[in-house]
Amino acid sequence: MKKKSNFIRRSLISALSFLKDSVFAEEYTSRNGFLQGIDPRLKVASFALFFITAIFLKRAELLILLYGLCLLLALFSKINLGWFLKRTWLFIPVFSLLIVIPALFDIFTPGETLFTLNILRAKLVISRQGFFGARLFVMRVIVSVSFAVLLSITTKHFALLKTFRIFGIPQVFVMTMGMCYRYIYLFLKVVEDTYLAIKSRVGTRLDYKKGQHIVAWNISALWNRSYHLGEDVYGAMLSRGYTAEPVILDDFKTKSRDWLWLFFVVIFFVIILYIDRRVL
Amino acid sequence: MHIPDGYLGPATCGVFYAVMLPIWTVASKIVKKTLKAKQVPILAIGAAFSFVIMMFNVPIPGGTTGHAVGGALVAILLGPWAACIAITVALVIQALLFGDGGITAIGANCFNMAFVLPFVGYYIYRAISYNAPIDSNRRVIAAGVGGYIGINVAAFLAGIEFGLQPLLYHTASGQALYCPYGLKAAVPAMLGGHMLVFGWVEAIVTALVIKYLLKTAPELLGPSPSLRNK
Repeated sequence: MKKKSNFIRRSLISALSFLKDSVFAEEYTSRNGFLQGIDPRLKVASFALFFITAIFLKRAELLILLYGLCLLLALFSKINLGWFLKRTWLFIPVFSLLIVIPALFDIFTPGETLFTLNILRAKLVISRQGFFGARLFVMRVIVSVSFAVLLSITTKHFALLKTFRIFGIPQVFVMTMGMCYRYIYLFLKVVEDTYLAIKSRVGTRLDYKKGQHIVAWNISALWNRSYHLGEDVYGAMLSRGYTAEPVILDDFKTKSRDWLWLFFVVIFFVIILYIDRRVL
Repeated sequence: MHIPDGYLGPATCGVFYAVMLPIWTVASKIVKKTLKAKQVPILAIGAAFSFVIMMFNVPIPGGTTGHAVGGALVAILLGPWAACIAITVALVIQALLFGDGGITAIGANCFNMAFVLPFVGYYIYRAISYNAPIDSNRRVIAAGVGGYIGINVAAFLAGIEFGLQPLLYHTASGQALYCPYGLKAAVPAMLGGHMLVFGWVEAIVTALVIKYLLKTAPELLGPSPSLRNK
């Protein structure tokens, strides 16, 4: 008996939603907002401080403050807040919220009783340690994810990859990342076209074994095509003057406003960590 | 398998960055030495390929779907050191540009998925397919076993990384500061899902892709391309 399998539809949806998100992100990076105007190198440095702050803070109240700053920055950068909240809460924070539920109870986190729930004569105790630990965990995840998304939607992706040079990462890595980024879109287009062709010929009602063969065939065909594409790409690189030493064009410009921004973030970083350590 | 930001404490993240640094250095030296100039784009292609593999939904019994990581597969195709670089690049792009996997957890994610998974998968494949002819079915089985064991070892290590967090980081009253589940909960949770479902998806995808490549393009799995020998 054949079971209905949605793997074709799901693969198409994930490829399309990826491309849609990229289009939205590209649109936001082109806007004339606050973060879009900051030199990408200093922006990456300042966001690195935000990530470090988020991971070091031990008080949920300060993480909420950091989250407020993130939303404020999103607003000043002309990001649609509804879209931003949807983009950041789905999927990782909602997933974290669900998996942390058992940790609320004293079975997983023993401690002082905060609430007692009676469900079907079973007594479930939510511990103080479990509740506050879960709150801190979810806040930390949402703050980190929000800053990561904010960085990626306010910086042109290619510029973001080029900033790796300031961290001393070899140019061959930076070049590989840049090339990989381009290939991802090409490959996704190939995957999308292949699945659309399969869907139009055989539909989506396939048993799972047949489906697995189709997926494996697609992956192997993609690798076969890509491998041979590599040689053509190398030919194109040579014709454009590639001499085995990758050169990354550096067109970044730093203004005094960028340094002022970094100064503000450093001060914020020091103060918030000082408060966190002193009050706890 | 992708560890998001906020699940691991700062010292754990730092340790994994420190562990990965020499691995990345050795990988880039070996790849630079063995990679022919003509094969330079293949690294970027391998990285994009690792990225896209994760977007293929694989049908599993019961009408649902899962996805493979493809770590062992990329290692069989490119060799383990080149796979380490390719998967690292894919993971960095995923974390930095698409918010999938944590930025502070890049070191840990690379250790699990760009180092342990491809190396375990590749050497199991090599051991089982030792001296097997290029068209032998033993290669297909070896690829499947490599994929299955590789992803389960990586999941086991991810479980340990999660499970250590409440032991390493907690307040005086016992409140967890990062992932709240200890080893007794985190390791079975990670291993259970991978041993029962995702490990099989990885095994089936790795084995079938190798089977198709053996049929259609066996030269891509030949015995001694420069990258695969290292």
